[in-house]
Parts: sequence; structure tokens; C-alpha cells
Amino acid sequence: MSEPSELDPLLKRLAQGDRDAFTPVFQALWEPTRVLCARLLGDGADASDAAQSALLNILQRANEYDWRRPALPWAMGIATWECRTHLKRTSRRRESTDAPPESDGGAAVEEQEQRLLINSALEAMKTLSAADQQTLVETYWETASQVSGATLRKRRERALTRLRDAFRRLYGFD
Amino acid sequence: MDSIDLTKLEATARGRYERSRLRWSLAGAAPMLLVIAAATWLGRQPSSSAFFGGLLFVTGVVLLWRGRDIRRAFWPGVLAGLLPLVLSLAANAGHGCAMGHCSTWCIPACSAGGVGAGLFVAATATKLKLGWDFWVGASLMSVLTGAMGCACVGASGVLALVVGFALGLSPQLVFKLSR
Repeated sequence: MSEPSELDPLLKRLAQGDRDAFTPVFQALWEPTRVLCARLLGDGADASDAAQSALLNILQRANEYDWRRPALPWAMGIATWECRTHLKRTSRRRESTDAPPESDGGAAVEEQEQRLLINSALEAMKTLSAADQQTLVETYWETASQVSGATLRKRRERALTRLRDAFRRLYGFD
Repeated sequence: MDSIDLTKLEATARGRYERSRLRWSLAGAAPMLLVIAAATWLGRQPSSSAFFGGLLFVTGVVLLWRGRDIRRAFWPGVLAGLLPLVLSLAANAGHGCAMGHCSTWCIPACSAGGVGAGLFVAATATKLKLGWDFWVGASLMSVLTGAMGCACVGASGVLALVVGFALGLSPQLVFKLSR
């Protein structure tokens, strides 16, 4: 698999119409797309289908790629969106085929989307430093921290900003 | 997931990529339709203008679809071709008479416009250090744009344009070949 830094010029070439870059881009993107969809939807046929449609969409939209921006987050943003769409579609299909006697008002879909977002946030969190991760975990579980007052507030703010940046970098949106 | 046929997936993705590029190229070349419509409306020979306009549109779509250097030839080629087009359309308005014989200004306008277009294409290619793809693409676009107006007196007008264009292009071309 190519590193993200290698992907940038490859996708730029493809966006400009260089067909020689097609196979390297395809190969460089398949693994991250497959892994992302597996993480978001769980291992299984759904994730596999979503990964395939995500990759097709990414390559279909290769002309739109703005080469001044990093390629991998752009591509993974499309893949994340595709996974969400796939999840909604699958849930709707299940609802209509199972025909449950009482509708849950879309609660199941919302729950799955929530899970998807949490998984994405956890993935983004993994890119942060151990100190930032600890601050965020302590904040979430409201456990006592070694520091308090203004220092703690500043640490939380910084960790949250970094988390937001990491999320944007990975998925292309807030 | 191991059972996924990646070769088939790649072929499908390639097909989608090409179709998307074609759609994008059609949209990119669409503004040319305004130039073609104007040239056909104002030209002396609407059918010839429409014929060259059709060729111009198809060529433009192919250039944009192919991409790389040749894609960059699209607008410089059209811009260069506007010079002989405008000159020839303007020349249609009047004519010159000498020794009891009258003729339109179409052929001189096409020759002069062709020289200017050739110089413009050569200068752009040299300045931007672009390869042969650009030279060929921009020349095609330029001549076809100009030909919509230069068809005013039939094939001789288009021939005058081509000769003028070649003359304008040749100094830089010779310089490039000799390096």
C-alpha cells in the first residue's frame, strides 16, 4: 500500500487525466477504504459492499479532487459518507422486508449511526497523544484528574481541538 | 472480503472514471457552443460554420477528456482562434475593388488572423514549456475556431488561415526542433 504522501501526487495525476496513475491509486485506496468500512460497519458482507461502492465513488469523483488538499482524508470522507448511506439503505430495506408490527420510529437507524460516529471519533482519538487521550477519557467519564481548575480546562480545550482537527483530517468533515 | 474480485472492481471503477471524465469534458466544452452559435449566426456560410463548429466541439471534448498537457490546449487554442474568426466575420461586412475587380477582405483577414493565432499558440507553448501534445491540440482548436469564419469564401479562406497559422507557428517551431 502506498503511504498517504505518495497518494497525493498519484491522485493529482489521475485528476489531471493521467491513466497510468489509475491502478496505483486503486491499489493505494482499496486497503484503507476496506479497513474504514469494516471498522464503521463491522466485518461482514455489508462492510464489503460499502467498501466497494465507496471505492467506485472515490474513483468516479477523482476529477473533482483538489490537489492542494491531502488526498487520503478527501477519499476517506467520501468512504465514510458511503458507509453511512449504506447503513441507512440497509436499515430501510430491513424495515420494509421484516415489516415489524410496530415501528421503532427510526431509533435503530439512529442507534447505528450513533455507533458509527462513536467508532469514527475513537479512530480519530487514536491519532492523539497519550496525554490528550487521557484528558478526554477523564473528561468523558468525569473521573478525577491529576490537575484541576484552569489548567484542566485548558488541557481539555486543547485536546478537544486536536480531536476535532484529527476527525476533519481523517474524514474530511466536522 | 477475500473473495472480492479486485480485477473486476478495478475495471468497473475505470469505466465509471472514464464516464465521469466524459461528462465533465462535455460540461467544460459547453461554453464553446455559444461561440459556435454566434459564428454560425453571423457567418456568411452557416452550414460550413456549423460543420467546423461541430468538429471544434468534438475536438474540444476529446482534448478535455484525454487530459494532461493536451487538456491545457483547449482555451489557449480557442482564444488564438478567435482572432481569425473575428477578423473574418468583420471582413464579411466590406470588400475591396481594384482594376475593375472586387473581392471580400476575407482571405487577407484569415491570413493575418492565422499568423496572429500561430504566434499566440507558439508563444504560449514556449512560455509554459509545454510538450507536443499542447502544440497539436492548441493548433487544432485554433484552426477549427478560425475556420468557422474563414469558410466565408469556401476552401480558399480556410487554406489562407492554415497557411497563415503555419507561418506564425514556424519560427518558434523551428527553434524548438533545432534544440
